[in-house]
Amino acid sequence: MSPEQKKFIKKIKINKIKIWLCQILIIILFLGMWEFFVNKGIISSFIYSSPSRIIKTVIELINNHNFFIHIFVTLKEVIIAFILGITLGFIIALILYEFKFLAKVMDPFLTMLNSLPKVALGPLIIIICGANSKSVIVMALLINLIVSIITIYNGFLCTDEYRLKLFKTMKASKIQTLTMLVIPSSYQTIIASFKLCVAQTLIGVIMGEFLVSKQGLGYLIVYGKQVFNLNYIMTGIVILALISYILYKLIVLLENKLLKHLRD
Amino acid sequence: MNKLLEIKNLTKNYHTIEGECEAIKDFNLEVKNGEIISLVGPSGCGKSTLLSIISGLDKEYTGIINKDSKIKMAYMLQSDALLPWLTIYENALLGLKIKHNMTKENIEYVDYLLDFYNLKDFKNNYPKSLSGGMKQRVALIRTLALKPDILLLDEPFSALDQQSRLIISDDVYKILKKENKTAILVTHNIEEAIIFSDKVVVLSKRPAKIKKIIPIDIANKDSIYERRKDPNFHKYFDNIWKDLDNNES
Repeated sequence: MSPEQKKFIKKIKINKIKIWLCQILIIILFLGMWEFFVNKGIISSFIYSSPSRIIKTVIELINNHNFFIHIFVTLKEVIIAFILGITLGFIIALILYEFKFLAKVMDPFLTMLNSLPKVALGPLIIIICGANSKSVIVMALLINLIVSIITIYNGFLCTDEYRLKLFKTMKASKIQTLTMLVIPSSYQTIIASFKLCVAQTLIGVIMGEFLVSKQGLGYLIVYGKQVFNLNYIMTGIVILALISYILYKLIVLLENKLLKHLRD
Repeated sequence: MNKLLEIKNLTKNYHTIEGECEAIKDFNLEVKNGEIISLVGPSGCGKSTLLSIISGLDKEYTGIINKDSKIKMAYMLQSDALLPWLTIYENALLGLKIKHNMTKENIEYVDYLLDFYNLKDFKNNYPKSLSGGMKQRVALIRTLALKPDILLLDEPFSALDQQSRLIISDDVYKILKKENKTAILVTHNIEEAIIFSDKVVVLSKRPAKIKKIIPIDIANKDSIYERRKDPNFHKYFDNIWKDLDNNES
């Protein structure tokens, strides 16, 4: 390795460490200032809680209220709704792609459903599905499904026309064109739709839990509001932030694995 | 030389909401075994449509196309259309895979072609690591792997830079001659049409009609560089240019 190359690699590594350090610094500063302002009474500890109070609340919740059940319930709902959302989204997008006539017929309805604030359907869902986890999952599914369909379908439509022509000239069957060209071409869009879908699913699940639930992080937040214990609310929010970050990272891992050869 | 393909009174109309438009009118052509024919004409005159009809991709036309049902045709397009998620080797084998024709013999032929075109060392690379010219060479191998009787070349060199263009077109020319392949080349490059072909078909602007068929009589069949040096080259060029030029006015 030439000295220039070594220098170059070193520069990239140092840059990476710098970014990482800055991120840690932001977290420490944020938490430190929060704690400091609350301790000094500059902001109200009752409304804004504080990092130390959140840790105490977590310990208290673990000891007295089965905290992990809440996390587990929310996670379970998120995962079920996410998997259903991307699977159904993928299948429906494929059907729309294969049957262009159907896609044209469905277009205004999809647009309508996409713009409709799904939370308005909440009461209806509760009446149909009952006041349970099922309602929460349906709620989340309604929110993430339309977005998944539309993004994946648009990904399919972006398949390179020369490659499509090539497959036609080779007299490829419809199944071959789909499995060997259209779907692999859309990997990037499909992964992007996963990222969108995770965010949408979390919105849906928390919204669902706000409306109807006996367990889960959404329930914890609503409960905190009812008993006016804002520590619960803050703890719920912090755990949710962690969950969404971890889920997002998992998808990025998958992306790196699937799209290794496409990146420069 | 026996006839491979005969086109009689071919007419094609396009239908759009704005109305009907004639794309090709009364087109007649005979293609003999081992012949290379170029179609030149103003852009948008329906040259590519002609290839689509000949290949059987486009079935909406009137007229007669006589060909042996056993004749195999393969396309080479303007874009290499390689699949970025497949390796060079997998890309070269794509046509065989689609046609469920991955016999030992065919695979060996692809190996031989990759070796012949100095692509063996790149077999397991992905297309992004290859230059435009190399990619088009892989596209050529993918086409040849199908062992077509007629090659349909739809402006296959027009997206390449000048240098790659000369190298790749020489490759294609040599392989066509070596294997005595029949080919129909669509191009808007007059030079390319002359140095490649036994016959240049000059088309009028829309609707495409045959303006003139110019037989090219250049004895040298070794390489396009040698053919370009032929004393008659400029005469042919002027002839074709004049015919094309007249169309525009």
